[in-house]
Amino acid sequence: MKPFNYMRATNLHEAIGLLAHHTPNVCLLAGGTDLLIEWRRPSACTPENVIDISALTEMKGIESGNGRIVLKPLTTHAQILKSQAIIESAPLLSVAATVIGSPQIRNRGTVGGNIMNAAACADTVPPLIALNAEVVLQSESERRTLPLHELFLKPYETVARPDEILCEIRFEKLPVKARSSFIKLGRRNALSISRLSVAAVVARDEAGVITNARIVPGATFPRWRRVVEAEKLLVGEKASAELFRAAGDTVSELMIAETGHRWSTEYKEPVIAVLVQRALEQCCR
Amino acid sequence: MEKEHNIVSTQQRRVDAWGKVTGKAKFAEDYNVAHQLYGKVLRSKYPHARILRIDTSKAAQLPGVEAVLTAKDIPGSKVFGIVVKNQAILAEEKVRYLGDGVVLVAAVSKEIAEKTITLINVDYEPLPVLPDPETAMQPDSPRIHDDSPEYEFRNTFVHHKVRKGDTEKGFAEADFVIERRFKTQFIEHSYLEPEAVLAEPSEQGGVKITGSIQNLFSSRRSVATFLNLDLNKVEIIQTTLGGSFGGKDEVMTAMCCRSALLALKTGKPVKMVNSREESMLESYKRHPYVMYYKWGVKKDGRITAMEQRCIADGGAYASMSPFVTWRSVVQATGPYHCENVKTDVYAVYTNNNYTGAMRGFGSPQVNFAIESMMDELAEKVGKNPLEIRLQNGFERGAVTATGQKLEHNVSLKEVLTKAAHSSSFAKKWNDYRHQPPSPKKNGIGIACSYRGVSLGAEGTDAAGTIVSVQTDGSMIVSSGITDMGQGAQSAMSHIVAEVLGISLDRIQFLNTNTSRVPDSGPTVASRGTIMGGSAAKRAAEIVRATLLDVGSKMTGITAEALDLRENYLVHTLGETPVPPGVESGDSTSRRCKRLASFTELAAETFRRGKPMYGFGWFKSPKTSWDEEKGQGEAYFTFVYGCNVAEVEVDTQTGKVDVVEFTSVHDVGKAISRGGVLGQIYGGVAMGLGYGLLEEFDFEDGVPKHLNFDEYLIPTSMDVPPVKAIIVENEDAAGPFGAKSIGEPANEIAAPAIVNAIFNATGQRVYELPANLERVLLGHKLTRKGERGSVRKSAAETWTDASCKIRHKATDE
Repeated sequence: MKPFNYMRATNLHEAIGLLAHHTPNVCLLAGGTDLLIEWRRPSACTPENVIDISALTEMKGIESGNGRIVLKPLTTHAQILKSQAIIESAPLLSVAATVIGSPQIRNRGTVGGNIMNAAACADTVPPLIALNAEVVLQSESERRTLPLHELFLKPYETVARPDEILCEIRFEKLPVKARSSFIKLGRRNALSISRLSVAAVVARDEAGVITNARIVPGATFPRWRRVVEAEKLLVGEKASAELFRAAGDTVSELMIAETGHRWSTEYKEPVIAVLVQRALEQCCR
Repeated sequence: MEKEHNIVSTQQRRVDAWGKVTGKAKFAEDYNVAHQLYGKVLRSKYPHARILRIDTSKAAQLPGVEAVLTAKDIPGSKVFGIVVKNQAILAEEKVRYLGDGVVLVAAVSKEIAEKTITLINVDYEPLPVLPDPETAMQPDSPRIHDDSPEYEFRNTFVHHKVRKGDTEKGFAEADFVIERRFKTQFIEHSYLEPEAVLAEPSEQGGVKITGSIQNLFSSRRSVATFLNLDLNKVEIIQTTLGGSFGGKDEVMTAMCCRSALLALKTGKPVKMVNSREESMLESYKRHPYVMYYKWGVKKDGRITAMEQRCIADGGAYASMSPFVTWRSVVQATGPYHCENVKTDVYAVYTNNNYTGAMRGFGSPQVNFAIESMMDELAEKVGKNPLEIRLQNGFERGAVTATGQKLEHNVSLKEVLTKAAHSSSFAKKWNDYRHQPPSPKKNGIGIACSYRGVSLGAEGTDAAGTIVSVQTDGSMIVSSGITDMGQGAQSAMSHIVAEVLGISLDRIQFLNTNTSRVPDSGPTVASRGTIMGGSAAKRAAEIVRATLLDVGSKMTGITAEALDLRENYLVHTLGETPVPPGVESGDSTSRRCKRLASFTELAAETFRRGKPMYGFGWFKSPKTSWDEEKGQGEAYFTFVYGCNVAEVEVDTQTGKVDVVEFTSVHDVGKAISRGGVLGQIYGGVAMGLGYGLLEEFDFEDGVPKHLNFDEYLIPTSMDVPPVKAIIVENEDAAGPFGAKSIGEPANEIAAPAIVNAIFNATGQRVYELPANLERVLLGHKLTRKGERGSVRKSAAETWTDASCKIRHKATDE
């Protein structure tokens, strides 16, 4: 690991000031579960300046009210999975938090870090996109809000500038009638990087007709997104195995169209279809 | 009448537990001394290349650097090896795998040592890389070792055979022939503690090495010849070890040699510690095997002929391959009757990491093939997997493939029956074959094995243990058998405490020091308890005889009527139970009268000038081997075990979860009950990794992963509750009848799991591990280059100055 300047910010204002001063040769340290591992690689690009934001209390916690949830970025995965507000209004995010890493990683890793690291296999991102989450980025010069799915350019790259800090993640609570699910497929049952994952939300009317559907696969597309092509198949229809299978096949076809044939395609092609189908079935159980 | 034990076979504490759970235990990296330097190795840049020029001039000028050494600076033998001496401690003309060391440096700090490495220039002429043993065997392949004798094929340095009867005749008698190809993978030992040593120049010349070393005497021999020193000038002290599993032999020998050379050249202590990445890059692995099995069988399930051809990837150096593959050739047909056997096992050089000892030592590979074949045989003749094993399995008096008649208690059918009964095997196996269609399916699988205990006809097999009573009645015990976490010190302590009638807290067990205990061979082959334990029993019995003699003189009671029980010298009053309320008697209610405390007895023995020191030596019973005929009394006794695995298979994703597991082992006698259970649980977990997850993968001789982010071992969430059943048929050869458990516990979990997958899905996996892709698609998918989830800026990945992992396209 190369030497670097370490600064510990005591409040958000100070952190933003430090970011502005050192930009672009700077990065933020939150839980450290990505950054410190990355730095073990001798070839890793260690920035000259590291600002430790882990002490910023105003950046921690979950606020619930007025039909929305505000998630502060330094909230740990362990806090998310224990939050009653999340369990009630965004259960798929709670499920995703329980399957991240191990207890140690869940105790240190933060949702903000999971988002800003922008790994293709980040487990909290598909549920948050399925929740239509927005993120707030702040710098000395501006504060801007954008839909979460617009944040990402490609794996490990976001539209956030080096002087910007993620200071809020917010989303509408799921309607009472909506059901949601998150499925992760890893090689083992803990400490596992997602081979594939799927977040889904389905709402139905009294007659059982699907009124709203959201499907967000993980580790599938070069950029995260809701698969509206598959969602469209569902709206106005009643739940059935064939319907969900068709949605799954659509996701699978789109994956190949967007990523081409890769070493893993032979496996991922059938499996993503099945996982989408299962995620939708879980929502309609 | 069964003799009652106070310590042996009961639940007792581990003697090393306290230090380990409180953090007081000192592992190799915890040792530091004043003025120590830090050693570092520059490793090869290519898996196969000729070294043209080494330029160390810039590196040597860096302030803080105290030594920069190459093979030219080695005073003695530049190579070592247990059988074939061709492993370079520092490569001179050629590098044969990426882990080869080329230049050695010592500096006043770790950082300077790391920097020094980057200033060394080595010019190479890359040579064709041979990553596949079957290709390396082809006559047109280049030789990896120019001067190595070859057996039949190119780069082939071992050929073991077993010949029994006439397989042609056997196949002619057969109703069917089953022919299959199996393949296993490289496995990392995954010891928690990476390699580390501290080497210090000694006062009288020579060197003292303290480190995380499994086989101290083998390492010492190599250090001595490497440095041209007498054995008595090389002192190797074992620290508390954070695991080994067979893995801290040659890789530690190389580290000992390198650190000792730096220490003698600089006159200062030198510390060397591998990072996890360096450890995975350099250390040896479990052999991958390609196995061609061909069996002739009758309609009724009898086996008329067995023909096996196994090719082991030996990697860059011979290492333990000659012995590992010998165990394979002896055990390649399992505990099953067959008149006609022909087995050939080859070991071949490649440019992969060299392969050597790992828990199982040549058995996990062949057991996977044998036990898969048995299930195929059962399927073919319409029997269940239990029936076919009971039909063909050995019993007392059976003659093995090597012509050895089994004269001990052959408990194969006992362990099979117990495991099957305890897991409701037959019923579940039948139910699962007829389960309704569903994405998730259950399956149950069985596998059994027999295993030769200790080294067998590999070589000299003897060990020594020392028991030294102190004047206050406390005890110091030491042995040439080492403890690496497997519990050897506990087992030997339990035996000494049993013989001397003392509590365990009186015993202080010393870590092994080559200058203070006799060369007892390597602590391998599950021989710790049977060899070190037998020696401990003898040592304790010598002391006991002295103490009872003194006791007799003290009390005037004949020695025959005296005993040592619960820290007292007692007068035995017959073995009839004491009525309740009567005071005299020990906790097992044997009648006795306390005469003196053990402390008083020890003091009296010292006062009378009697020796309070016992040295026990145990040499194994005779074994034999005829290499040409492939026949012999391979091992002096065998153990028997059976595993039953129950799985849930997600047939749409290929994900396998092991949901229940039963492991039954005849250990002869469980000296340390908790230790045996621990070995069984750990063995199953490790075997589960072998079956489902682990694969140390290469691309053209370049490892694809050097840490546990991608080399996946099972977590506690992957290992189901294990039902362990200990069977105790005491064996004449072992202390209190004890035999082995360390390796047996590990060697049949994978085939039980694979057989369970077949029961669930009707699809058999022929290549390990049975990961997502193999279970779903029936074959492996190979990633070329980096995984897509790796950050782009780090796409060059681990580019330690000494190691370059090449990558092609970034792709997921």
